Amino acid sequence: MNINRLSWINIIRNPFNTMLSLLLMAFGVGIISLLLLLNKSVEEKLQGNLNGIDMVIGAKGSPLQLILSSIYHIDNPTGNILLEEVNKIKSNPMVESTIPLSFGDSYKGFRIVGTTHAYPKLFQVNFQAGKLWDKSMQVVIGSDIVEACQLKMGSTFYSSHGLVEGGEIHNKHAFKVVGILDKSNTIIDQLILTNSESISAVHNHKKDSNHTHEGVVGSCSDDHSEMITAMLVKFRSPVGFISLPRQVNETTNLQAAVPAFEISRLISLLGLGVRSINMIAFFIIIVSGLSIFISLYNSLKRRRYELALMRVHGATKLQLVKLVFQEGMLISILGLFLGILFSRLILYLVSFFIDHNYSFYSIQLSLIKEEFWLFPIALFVGFIASLIPIIQAYYINIPKTLSNV
Amino acid sequence: MLKTEGLTFSYNSSHIFTFPDILLQQGEDLLILGDSGVGKTTLIQILSGLLSPHSGFVEMNGTRFQDLSSKSLDQFRGSNIGMVFQQSHFVRNLSILDNLLLSLYLSNKLQDKKRAIHLLQEIGLADKLNNMPDELSQGEQQRAAIATALIKTPDLILADEPTSSLDDNNCQKIITLLKEQASLTNAKLIIITHDQRLKDQFNTSIEL
Repeated sequence: MNINRLSWINIIRNPFNTMLSLLLMAFGVGIISLLLLLNKSVEEKLQGNLNGIDMVIGAKGSPLQLILSSIYHIDNPTGNILLEEVNKIKSNPMVESTIPLSFGDSYKGFRIVGTTHAYPKLFQVNFQAGKLWDKSMQVVIGSDIVEACQLKMGSTFYSSHGLVEGGEIHNKHAFKVVGILDKSNTIIDQLILTNSESISAVHNHKKDSNHTHEGVVGSCSDDHSEMITAMLVKFRSPVGFISLPRQVNETTNLQAAVPAFEISRLISLLGLGVRSINMIAFFIIIVSGLSIFISLYNSLKRRRYELALMRVHGATKLQLVKLVFQEGMLISILGLFLGILFSRLILYLVSFFIDHNYSFYSIQLSLIKEEFWLFPIALFVGFIASLIPIIQAYYINIPKTLSNV
Repeated sequence: MLKTEGLTFSYNSSHIFTFPDILLQQGEDLLILGDSGVGKTTLIQILSGLLSPHSGFVEMNGTRFQDLSSKSLDQFRGSNIGMVFQQSHFVRNLSILDNLLLSLYLSNKLQDKKRAIHLLQEIGLADKLNNMPDELSQGEQQRAAIATALIKTPDLILADEPTSSLDDNNCQKIITLLKEQASLTNAKLIIITHDQRLKDQFNTSIEL
C-alpha cells in the first residue's frame, strides 16, 4: 500500500465522476487532435500536388474551379480552350515550360488524362512496372487504380464518357496498360495517363454518334482545330507571377489562375471553420477541468476526516498533497491519451467510408508536432483543477476535523 | 515514559482549560474521566501533538513535542502513538486489511501482511479482511479501527471515547481488547471518556 496505489484506487472506486471527467477531457483533446490531423493532411495533400506548377491556364470561369479541376482533379473543368491560342503564351520569354492536359473521360470513376511525358515527371514518381506510353491508346495507371479496377500490365479497357461512373462507353477504342506507377501519395495515384492524341481519337467518332460533348474535350469542335482542357505553366523566375497572370486574363479569352494564391485562399476559408471548432474543443477541455475540480472537491469534502486520519497515522502534508494532485493529474493524462486514441480511431473509420476519389486521408498514427501542444494544455488544466483541493488538503485542520464528528 | 506539566489551552480568552499533570510509565494504564465540555478532546489532541498547549509541555520517551518541527512531529506521532476515536473512521475506498497496511505505510513501518491478518484474526475479524469498512457493523468497525491503531505497535495508545456509542456487551469487549493489546506490546494506554461504565476497570484514573 502506498500513496500512488491509493490515488489509483480512489479514481477507480469513483467510476461515474471519473468517467465524466475522463470523457470530457478525451472529447476535447480528441476533437482538437482530429482537426489538427485533418488540417495537416489536407494541407499536405494540397501543397504536395503543387510542385512545379506556377500557373494554370484554362477557359474563363471560377479560378478556384480551374485549380481544383486541373491540379487536384476534384471538380469539373471550366471548359475547353484552343491549343493554338495557348501556344501563344508558351512562347512568352517568362515561361519556362508548359504541360497540356485534356480530360473528360473516365474508367470506373478514375479520370483519364491526356498529357505529355512531362506530367508524370512533375511528380517524380517511379514505375512499378512497364514504362511511359510511346503511341496512342497506351496508358500508364496510378497505383490506386491497380487494386480498385483489377487492371494489370497488358490489360485493355474502354473509357466511358464523363468524369463519373455510368457514362456512355466509348466501345470503339480500347486503352491498353503499358505502365504502372509507384505509390506517391499524390493525385497521380488515382489518374490514368495517356497522350493527348488518344483523347482526341476516342472522341473523333462523334460524327457517327449523336451524343453531345458538352464540357468534354477532344477535337470536338467543328473546325477541327485542336482543343485541350488546361495548361500547367512553370515560370522562369518569380517575376512571372507579377505580370503574366494579369496579362492573360486581360488580353485573351483564356483564364490564368495562380494555384499558390487560390489554395492559400481556400485554406484560410477552411481555417475559419477549423478555428471555431477548435474554440469549442478548448471550451470542452476547460469544462473537463471544471468537472475534475468539482469531483475532486466533492470527494475531498466527503474525505476530510479520511485525510485527517491519514495525518494522525503519520502522513505528512506533502503526502496528502501528492495524493490529491495525482488523482487530478491521472484523470487528465488518461483523458489526454484517450482523446488522442479517439482521433486515430475516428480517422481510421472515416477513411473506410470516404470515396476513393477524394481520399485526402492517409492515416497518420504517430503524433504530429502540433499535437504536442495538447500535453502542456491537458496537464495545465489538470493542475489548475487540482489546485484548490490541494490547498485544502495542505491546510486541513486536524483537531477541528477530528472534533467535528 | 509520558510526562506532562502545567498544560493549559484556550479557544478564546473567556475560558481557559487547565489540565492536571500526568506521569505514565511503560505498560501503565490511565483512565481520564470527565463530562462534556471539560476539554477531554482538547487534552487528547495535545497529548497526541495535534494541538500545541498555550503553556506547559508534553514529553514522551525524552522527546518534548514543542522541540519537533511539524513534519517530524507528524512522523513521531505516526510511529509512536496509536489513536482510537469515538467514531471509527477509515479510508473508505480501501478494504479493512488495506487500511491496516496503509497505517503501517504512513508510519514508515514494514507492511507485514501476515501480522496484519494475524491481528485481525485475534480481534475476531478473520472473515472481514477484504470487506469494505462500510460493510461492517458498528462494533466490528470499532474493533477494526483499534486494529489500525495497534498494528504499528505504538508506545502510547490514546483512546478518545472508544466506547460511548457501544452497548454494554461491545463496550466490555473493546476495553478488554485495548488492555490486552496494550499489555501485549508493553504500551501505555490512556482512555479519555465520560463513560462511567469504565470507572471500575482501571486502577488509575483522573477526573477532569
